[in-house]
Amino acid sequence: MSESAQAGYASAIGRETPAEEPYVEPKWHEVNDDVLRTMLVTGPRYWMLLGATVTVAVVCFFIPWSMLLKNGLGLAGNNRSANWSTFLSNFIFWIGLSHSGTLLSAVLHITQSSWRKAIYRSAEAMTLFSLMTAAMFVLVHLGRVWFVHWSVPIPNPMGLWPNFRSPLMFDVMAITTYLTASSIFIYMGSVPDFAAVRDRSTGVRKRLYTIFSFGWRGTDKEWHTLGWAYTFFAVFVIPLAVSVHSIVSWDFALSVVPGFHHTIFAPYFVCGAIYSGTAGIVTVMYLLRKYLGLERYIQEDHFDKLGKLLIVLSLIWTYINVMELFTGWYSGGSFEIEALRFKLFGFYAPLFWEMIICCTFVPMLMLSKRIRTNWTWMLWISLFINLGMLTERFIIVATSQPRKFLPDAFGFYFPGWTEFCITIGSFAIFATLFLIFIKWVPCVSLYEVKETLTPRRRVK
Amino acid sequence: MGGVMGIFQYEDDLLRSVQRLKDAGLPRPIVVSPVPLEHELEHIYGPRKSPVRRFSLAGGLTGAVAGFALAVACALVFVLPTAGRAVIPFPPFLVISYEMTILMGVLFTLIGFHVVSGLPAWQDHPYDERLNVDRFGVIVPCESDAQRSEAERLIREGGAEDVREVEDAS
Repeated sequence: MSESAQAGYASAIGRETPAEEPYVEPKWHEVNDDVLRTMLVTGPRYWMLLGATVTVAVVCFFIPWSMLLKNGLGLAGNNRSANWSTFLSNFIFWIGLSHSGTLLSAVLHITQSSWRKAIYRSAEAMTLFSLMTAAMFVLVHLGRVWFVHWSVPIPNPMGLWPNFRSPLMFDVMAITTYLTASSIFIYMGSVPDFAAVRDRSTGVRKRLYTIFSFGWRGTDKEWHTLGWAYTFFAVFVIPLAVSVHSIVSWDFALSVVPGFHHTIFAPYFVCGAIYSGTAGIVTVMYLLRKYLGLERYIQEDHFDKLGKLLIVLSLIWTYINVMELFTGWYSGGSFEIEALRFKLFGFYAPLFWEMIICCTFVPMLMLSKRIRTNWTWMLWISLFINLGMLTERFIIVATSQPRKFLPDAFGFYFPGWTEFCITIGSFAIFATLFLIFIKWVPCVSLYEVKETLTPRRRVK
Repeated sequence: MGGVMGIFQYEDDLLRSVQRLKDAGLPRPIVVSPVPLEHELEHIYGPRKSPVRRFSLAGGLTGAVAGFALAVACALVFVLPTAGRAVIPFPPFLVISYEMTILMGVLFTLIGFHVVSGLPAWQDHPYDERLNVDRFGVIVPCESDAQRSEAERLIREGGAEDVREVEDAS
């Protein structure tokens, strides 16, 4: 491996200074070997982990949900003044977590950032599975899930049609669109890699991947068309992602409930979503790197750049948080002041300050490059950020509704065992989907990583 | 139509051969590669735009109209008067229109991709599994034996490590 070739790769992924440990650039065929090995070779540890996540998903999510279906939502901690609770806060959390994958991938594709190439596939998968998990919470929150088709504009015997003036119907449209667009975005980006799996497989798997890859060969016409289509997908996805969390915020902001009714909610939610999603990418990248042996593809530089992005997002998020408090206070409205007082100094104040510590102060550790390029530190910081973001969603929902207007309507909400279980179960569902994903789709894009390597030229 | 297929170890050998094939007046070859070589081929054959963009535009426009129409139709079929507000208000319905613009734009782009690229293509075309790993291929459609031997000569001289005749050069 020549020094110039190493420098070429280092430059392609944006490394400005050489790493302390000598880096050996993979050869093109090694990229196929390394990445496809993660799909085609499965050890007992994988099956044990998959078994564990499926078990937790069933025990903690589906069994409590079936009990809710049987006994009604009263089994959860919902009460009259807190009709929206943990299920909705988890819904917002998972929608938020979905935001960085496809959005970041699309933005970095448009801006031609080469460091995106090794991480975007898994980030997009994260989007897809977060959205699926979020959709599960809509169903749980709905209670009578067998009426979910009422929200879809299809003919029915009652002559009932959806009311598109409601932000909840905006949500249905936005999430359906986002799920569809994200699925197509990740699928189309994977088609050339499905062809690589097809070429490496035999039997049923080969037939399956022949179908998945549409008979892809890699002709100039196919690449040209994919390049154009993929860019258009990216162009569509960016405004879509921004609209999705804006619309989720309008579920709250378009009501008149103190604590919800803020014009800043849309950028607040979008920023929080990207923040949470970027932290989620760091967590997923750490796990992929460590447990799938992808050290040569997921580098310090990826963590360094994600760390810088997290610092910026943390500052924006903090600014918006302060502005939300300030505008509430400056309005002078007694209901707003009470909602603020309850949030900052009431029963849930410890959670509020925990959120501030996790999302404002902890990320500042990443101002140090040594921390940004340290895997373990980055893992813990990303986990703290998402803990803070999960808390943030809960605070928005749980501290506003039970504190609206007249004191005799004041209430109190605390999650019951069903909410705790279902929350834990949702993480297991996400993990299960991701574990299945890594065995069906190359978790690192083969062709895009090859583009960052030294070109195969006779004349270097 | 039959033709000749060559497999190269190096990208620059392939591109040089493609340039020679063009200079010799042979039909435009199909280039097969593990990574996109669009920009490199543009230097030889010039830039070209893809009709996919027309599908995207058509999808976006269709979605914008369809989204608004859907919201209006639902409001008219199931009238829900609320505090004197308009039955057909613009601001909320534009949100539906916006989402449908994107949804239909994406779906039409997907259709455009399939129509323009010719995928799925299940029938057997000339292919070598190495072309999805670290080799580069060129397939030259030839109308006569003279063209075939000329193409084969140029590909061999270009440094191909493997040259073969193919019955279907598509």
